[in-house]
Amino acid sequence: MNKYNPPRMNPSSLRSRFATRFLRSLSEINAQKPTASSSSPTEIFRRYRRIKVAADKSMAYSVRSRRTWSRAMLWKLRTRPCGRRSVKTSTIVRKTRHEKQNKNTTTATTTGEDGVVSGVEADELRELVPGGEAMDLYNLLDETAHYIKCLTTQVQVMKKIADFYSP
Amino acid sequence: MLHRLESLESCNYNGMDVAVLERQAARLKWQQQNYVVQNNNLVELCASSMPQFQGLSGSNLGSGQMVQLKRPEVFLGSGDFQEFVNFPVAGAEFGDSEKLDLVPPEAAADYCISRTSSCQMTALNTSVMKEEREDMVLEKMESTTGSGRESFNKRKPEAVADHKGKNKRIKGEGESEVKTKCSTEISRNSSKENSKASEVQKLDYIHVRARRGQATDSHSLAERARREKISMKMKCLQDLVPGCNKITGKAGMLDEIINYVQSLQRQVEFLSMKIAALNSSVENLPMKEFPAYVANFPAAAKLPAMAGLPYFQLNPLQKESVNCMLNESMLPPQTATEGIASASVSISEQSLSSSSMTQLQPFSTWNMDPQCLYNMYNMGFH
Repeated sequence: MNKYNPPRMNPSSLRSRFATRFLRSLSEINAQKPTASSSSPTEIFRRYRRIKVAADKSMAYSVRSRRTWSRAMLWKLRTRPCGRRSVKTSTIVRKTRHEKQNKNTTTATTTGEDGVVSGVEADELRELVPGGEAMDLYNLLDETAHYIKCLTTQVQVMKKIADFYSP
Repeated sequence: MLHRLESLESCNYNGMDVAVLERQAARLKWQQQNYVVQNNNLVELCASSMPQFQGLSGSNLGSGQMVQLKRPEVFLGSGDFQEFVNFPVAGAEFGDSEKLDLVPPEAAADYCISRTSSCQMTALNTSVMKEEREDMVLEKMESTTGSGRESFNKRKPEAVADHKGKNKRIKGEGESEVKTKCSTEISRNSSKENSKASEVQKLDYIHVRARRGQATDSHSLAERARREKISMKMKCLQDLVPGCNKITGKAGMLDEIINYVQSLQRQVEFLSMKIAALNSSVENLPMKEFPAYVANFPAAAKLPAMAGLPYFQLNPLQKESVNCMLNESMLPPQTATEGIASASVSISEQSLSSSSMTQLQPFSTWNMDPQCLYNMYNMGFH
């Protein structure tokens, strides 16, 4: 362990902010863990969901409300009801969205509204980026750029943590 | 600027269209109306400084408009345009009394009017001109100058000739007066003149075309601006997304971006799954990885909940080591003490707040914090 060089961490960087938040929430999750049956698949799945939510939340919090996507993500997480209901509703929402998307694809192919980009891809992207539903293309791309940056840092940090956990 | 002009000139002779000519005629009408208004304004503006000019422009308004309209286009292709741009300020305004007898009346009208156009230009440039319009303007210019040149081709030679002659004369005379007021626009040596003239020339183009473009279709201008913004963002995204450089076409790029975002989201899901699985099995792991930590943790024995203990012992140290790993691999250099101190402070603050927020096991969390700090400092200085 002593082989590490002296740390050169910028505490205000997005990566460190996310790392500290995420680790804190991880420790909370670990703290709340019931003593028995922790290795059962349902338990692992439960933990997975919580960790996923924690990762999203800590990412959004470390971005703060500067970005539309972080605001949207926080709002979604806040309004998300706890328990199994959430899963159901989310699937329903997804279904409706897919229907919408299909409609949109038909309209976009017929009209060809946008000279630059066809509406299909833009709509797909809108679904992927949180809060992107009501954005025009320029803002959507802007948010996407930032979101990609944040996702890459998130992935890097989580990889490090996973590497650390794994024997 | 000049070589652009030359290229323009070359294409002028190639593309001459009847349709373009018709458009030109319509535009001329429209501009006539415009110029009347602008001339009046200018006359009011300049009334105090030059009463003669007022009379001149007033009398020549009717006949002069056409000339004025032709002028820029006539001189566009020729190398004289710089002189033309510089000239009016020297000519009409200050040297009036001497020059008016030297030059024929219609030429004087020309001066006045060209002066007014240049003044308009400076006045309107600030408000009207926008950078986004530039290429639009240039594109338009090609077509319009083509027709303009053709229609006024006959006029050109004599216009250029007498203009040249007068220009020299008036420069010689009016320079001293001009310098005092218009030192920014007129320079003495020819090289300077050229550079400045090219600037002015450029502005004039934009001014004229932008106004025209604005009048005709603002929608397409806005659309163009929007597309430029979008393509700029696309370029930024191209740098972010790996493997996006090879793809041409925005639809393909967007597809690639979508795939990348999806893959990142899946990666996050996978990693959180992995962490969840590992975390549950970490329980079984012995503490052999952190012997020093266990040795240095006297409060561990006092903790009541034994099952939750490994997690509590692991976590601060994990935080720390993860931070170390992060530092080592990715982050920009900073002084070690600063970095570690601030990081540890932030972590302790956060764990404090978390303990107060969750209220689940406040005692152990509180107990842990100094230890966490201590370990961090240890690790930092090893």
